Amino acid sequence: MKTFITSIFLIYVVSVQPLIGQEVEKTILLDSVLIEDEALDEVKYVASKYVTKKDLQNQQIRDVGEYLRSIPNVSGIRRGGANLDPVVRGYKYSQLNVLLNNGVKIENGCPNRMDPVTARIETEDIGNIEIIKGPFLLKYGPSFGGVINLKSEVPQPYDQFEIHGNAQAGFESNWNGEKYHGSLHGGDRKFQFMVAGGYRNYGNYNSGYREGLETEVKSSFTKYNYLAKLGYSFKPNQQLMISYDGIHGRDVLYPSLPMDEKSDDTHIFGLDYKGKNLSPVLKEIEAKIYHSDVHHVMDNSRRPSAENMLMVADVNSSNTGGRFVTTFQFAKHRLLTGLDYEHIMKDGTRTGTMEMMGTISTKVSNLWLDALIRNTGIFAEYHTYFSSYELTASLRGDFNNATSSDTLEVSYEGIDYFKDVDSEFFNLSFSVGITKKISSNLDVSLAFGRGTRSPNMLERYIKLLPVGYDRYDYLGNPQLQPETNNEIDLTFQSNFRNFGSMYLNFFYSYVQDFIFANLLPPTVIMPQSQGVLGVKQFVNVDHITSTGFEFGYNSPHQYKLGGSMIAAFTYGVIPEVTKYIISDGEVVDAVQITNDALPEIPPFETTMSVFYKFLNSNLIPTLKLRVVAPQGHISQAFYEEETPGFTLLDFSIRWKFAKFMELNTGISNIFDRAYYEHLNRRIIGSKENLYEPGRVFFASIYAHF
Amino acid sequence: MRISKNLPAITLIVMWGLMLLTACSDEPEGGAEPEPETGHIKFTFAHNVDNQPVQLDRMMYENSAGNPYEINEVMYFISDVILYKEGGRGLLIDDWKDIHYVELAIPSTLTWEVFDDIPAGTYDSITFVFGIPEEKNESFMFVNPPEDKMMWPDILGGGYHYMMINGKWLDENEIEQFYNFHLGIGQLYHGDEINFDSIYAFVQNYFTVSLPGSSFVLNKGQTREIEIVMNIESWFETPHDFDFNYWGGAIMEIQPAMKMGVENGHDVFSIGSIK
Repeated sequence: MKTFITSIFLIYVVSVQPLIGQEVEKTILLDSVLIEDEALDEVKYVASKYVTKKDLQNQQIRDVGEYLRSIPNVSGIRRGGANLDPVVRGYKYSQLNVLLNNGVKIENGCPNRMDPVTARIETEDIGNIEIIKGPFLLKYGPSFGGVINLKSEVPQPYDQFEIHGNAQAGFESNWNGEKYHGSLHGGDRKFQFMVAGGYRNYGNYNSGYREGLETEVKSSFTKYNYLAKLGYSFKPNQQLMISYDGIHGRDVLYPSLPMDEKSDDTHIFGLDYKGKNLSPVLKEIEAKIYHSDVHHVMDNSRRPSAENMLMVADVNSSNTGGRFVTTFQFAKHRLLTGLDYEHIMKDGTRTGTMEMMGTISTKVSNLWLDALIRNTGIFAEYHTYFSSYELTASLRGDFNNATSSDTLEVSYEGIDYFKDVDSEFFNLSFSVGITKKISSNLDVSLAFGRGTRSPNMLERYIKLLPVGYDRYDYLGNPQLQPETNNEIDLTFQSNFRNFGSMYLNFFYSYVQDFIFANLLPPTVIMPQSQGVLGVKQFVNVDHITSTGFEFGYNSPHQYKLGGSMIAAFTYGVIPEVTKYIISDGEVVDAVQITNDALPEIPPFETTMSVFYKFLNSNLIPTLKLRVVAPQGHISQAFYEEETPGFTLLDFSIRWKFAKFMELNTGISNIFDRAYYEHLNRRIIGSKENLYEPGRVFFASIYAHF
Repeated sequence: MRISKNLPAITLIVMWGLMLLTACSDEPEGGAEPEPETGHIKFTFAHNVDNQPVQLDRMMYENSAGNPYEINEVMYFISDVILYKEGGRGLLIDDWKDIHYVELAIPSTLTWEVFDDIPAGTYDSITFVFGIPEEKNESFMFVNPPEDKMMWPDILGGGYHYMMINGKWLDENEIEQFYNFHLGIGQLYHGDEINFDSIYAFVQNYFTVSLPGSSFVLNKGQTREIEIVMNIESWFETPHDFDFNYWGGAIMEIQPAMKMGVENGHDVFSIGSIK
C-alpha cells in the first residue's frame, strides 16, 4: 500500500511540475480531509458527489460555498468574507439549481448576490449535500448546469423516547473569528423534534504577505440562525414534518461590491409528507409545501462614496411553492412522476441621497417593482437495468411566465431596450444515461442531457446594479429568451478493494441562446452605481461551447495511510462577441472578435491529500496540497485579466479524544501565500484584486450525546 | 463488431475530437473589417484668457468691469454636438454618448474621441449645446466622479451645473474674495427676497453655441482633430460687463446674474484648429 501511495504521489508531483515551473512556488503536500465519494443511485451515470455531515465537520470553512470549492470543477465567487457563490463547470447563478431539502427554493434578496442560496443554511445544520453536474437530474426543477441539493438534518424516530444533542465551538486566527452552534433532537415513534441555533462573528482578515506587506480585507461579518422541526409519524412508514428556519446576517462587508449588507433576514417555512412502501407497486409518495421570505438591506455608509451620495437598497423577495412526487416499482422498472410549482416575487428600491447647500436631494428608483415569475413543472424519471446495463431517462416540461409592474421604458432611436415586461415560455428538458458494467470493478457511462431554463428575476428585470463580473451596471431584459444546455458526459468509474476508487469524467456542452451581456451607450441609459464604467444589458447570443474533465481518486479505507486526489479543467469559448475599445475610460470604438474565452472560467487545478490514522483512527493528521494553474485563457471582450497560479499547503488534525468529543485543529495556507482565485471579484472602483485569507490557525471542538 | 463493446472507445474519440476542435483556436481572432466609408473626429478642449493659455491660481487677470481675478477651477458640460453637412443636414453625435464633461484639472476630459462613424464629406459648421438640455438634465444621472460633483440642488431646479468656474477676485477694498461663477437652471422668486419657499418657476439657461470657422472636410478612414477653445474672459464681458462687486461670489440663486453670464456666453467658444 505504501508503494502504491508513493507511486500516486510521484505521478502527482510529475503532473504538476510544469505549473510549478511557471509561477507557482514549490511546496510540499498533504491534506486535511478524506472525502468519501459515494455515487448516488439515481445519477451514477454522470459526475455526482455526495457529501456527508462528517465531511463538513472536519473542514475549516465559514459557509457552504467555501466547502463546495473543494469539489472538482466546483468553484466559488468571493465578494467578501462570507457567502461564496458556487460555480459548477463555469455555470453559475440560475444556471445552477441550488435548493434546500429536496425542493425548497429561495429567491435571493440581494441583486449583487451577497446572499446566494448556499448562504441560507449553516454548515452545522447540514445532513448531506448532493451535487450533480450537468443538465441530467430534472426532478428538482429545471436543471441547466447542475443541481446542488443542500439537505438539513431531520429528526429520526426512536423506539422509545430519547433525546440527543451536540455542541460546537470554534476559533480562527487572522479573522479573530468565532463560531458556536448547538442542537437538540429526539422523540419517539410518534413524535420527533429538533431545535438548533448558531452564531458566528468574524473580523476583517489579512491576506498573505506580498512585497513584504499583508493587505487587510474588509470582510467582517456576523451571522446567526435558528431552526425548529417537529415530526409526526402517524404510521411507521408515513411522516409529516413541519419546519421553520431563520437565518440572519448583520454588517456583512463586501469590498468588491458598491454596498455592504446592513441586514439580511430570511425565514423559511416548510411542511413535508413522506410515505414509503405504501403498496407493492407504490414505493413512495413525497409532498412538500414551502414559503421562503427574504428581506435584504444594503448601503454604502461605510464607504468614502457615501460622503458624496448615500445609497441604500431595500429588497423583499419570496418564493412559495411545492412539489408532489410518486415513485412506482414494477420488477426491474422504477418510475418516478411528479409536478412542482414556484411562485417568485421580488420588490425593491434604491434610494440615493445627496446634501448640497444645506438641502437634501433624494432619488428613489425601483430595482424591481412587484416582479413575479411563476414556474409549473411536470416531470418523470425512469430507471431500469438489463444484462450488464443500467438505463436512466428523465423528461421535464416547464411552463414559465413572468410579469412586473415596472413603469420603466428604455427606448432609443426605434429600439426598445426595456419595455414589454410580460413573457411566457414552455421549456422541454430531457436526459438519458446508460451505464455499462465492464467488470465487477469498472463501469463506463454515457449520458446526454438537454436542459432549458428561463431567465431569472435578475436577467429579466434588474435595474442598474453591478451584478456581473465586470465594473458595469446591468439592465434586465424582459424579452430575454430561455437558454439551453446540450451536454454529453462520458464517465469511467472503478472501485478496487486494494486500490481504491477512481473516476474520470469528460464533458462537452453546447449552449444555445446563451445569456450574455452587451454594453449599452450612455445615450440609451446611464449607470446608477458608484464606481462603474457604464451599463450592460442581458442579451441572448447564438451559442457558446464548454468542455473539460474531472478526475478523482480515493484510497481504500482499510489502510492507515491513505489519501485522495482530484483534478479538474474547464475550457469555454464564445464564437463571436463584440469588444468595445476603451480609451481613458471612454468607449471609442467596437470590433468583432471570434473564439473569445468565456469569462469567469476557473483554471486547471489539482488537490492531493495524505493522511495517517493513529490510535485506531481516533487521531488523524492530514496534509493537503492544492495547486492551481495560472488562468491565461481569458475573455478579451470582458477585459478579463490573467490570474497567476498558486500553491497552498494546509495541515489539520482530527482528534477524537473522548467518546463524545472531538477536536479539529490545524493551519491553512501554511506559507502565508498572498493569492486570489480567478473568480474572486475585484475591489470595486479599483483594479485591486480581492485576496484570499493568509495563514489561519484554527481549532474547533465538537461534543455530542 | 459489437457496438456496445466499442461504445466507450468510440465515444471517447468523438469527445476528444470535439474538444480539440473547440480548443484549437486559443487566441481570439480579429474579424475581417470592410474598408470604412466613414471617418472619425476627435475633439480637444483648450482654455484661454486674453488669447493665452489660462494660468490657474494667479491673480493676474482683470475683467472689463475692472475686477482683478484669478481662476482656480473650470468644469462644464457640452452636449448634442451637431455636424452640419453641405446643404444644411445635421448629424447629431449620439451613437455612444451625447454629453461630454470637461474639467481643466483632468487631462482625459480635455479629449473626446467620438465613437460615432462619421460619413465622409464636407461639413459646413459645428454646433453644440452649452450645458445640458432640459429633457436630458436629470438629477442622479451621474453617480460617479467627476461628473457627480456637478449636481444642482433639486430645490433650485435639479439636474446638473452647466458650468463651474471657481476662483477669487479682489473687492473694492483689495480683499480677496471667493467667487463661484456657476451656471445652471435658474429660479424665479416671488418678491425681492431670495429663499427656497418663494421659488415659483425655473429657467432653463442652456444655450446653443454655433462655432465660427468650423467647416471641415472628412475623408473616409480619416480622423480629424478639432480643437474647441473656451475664451474664459468672455464670460465676464460682451455684451455685459460682469461685476463681481455687484453680484457677489455666488450666483446660483440669482437668475439675473446667470442670465448675464448666458448672454455673455454666446461668443465664449471658438475653433482653435482643425487638423
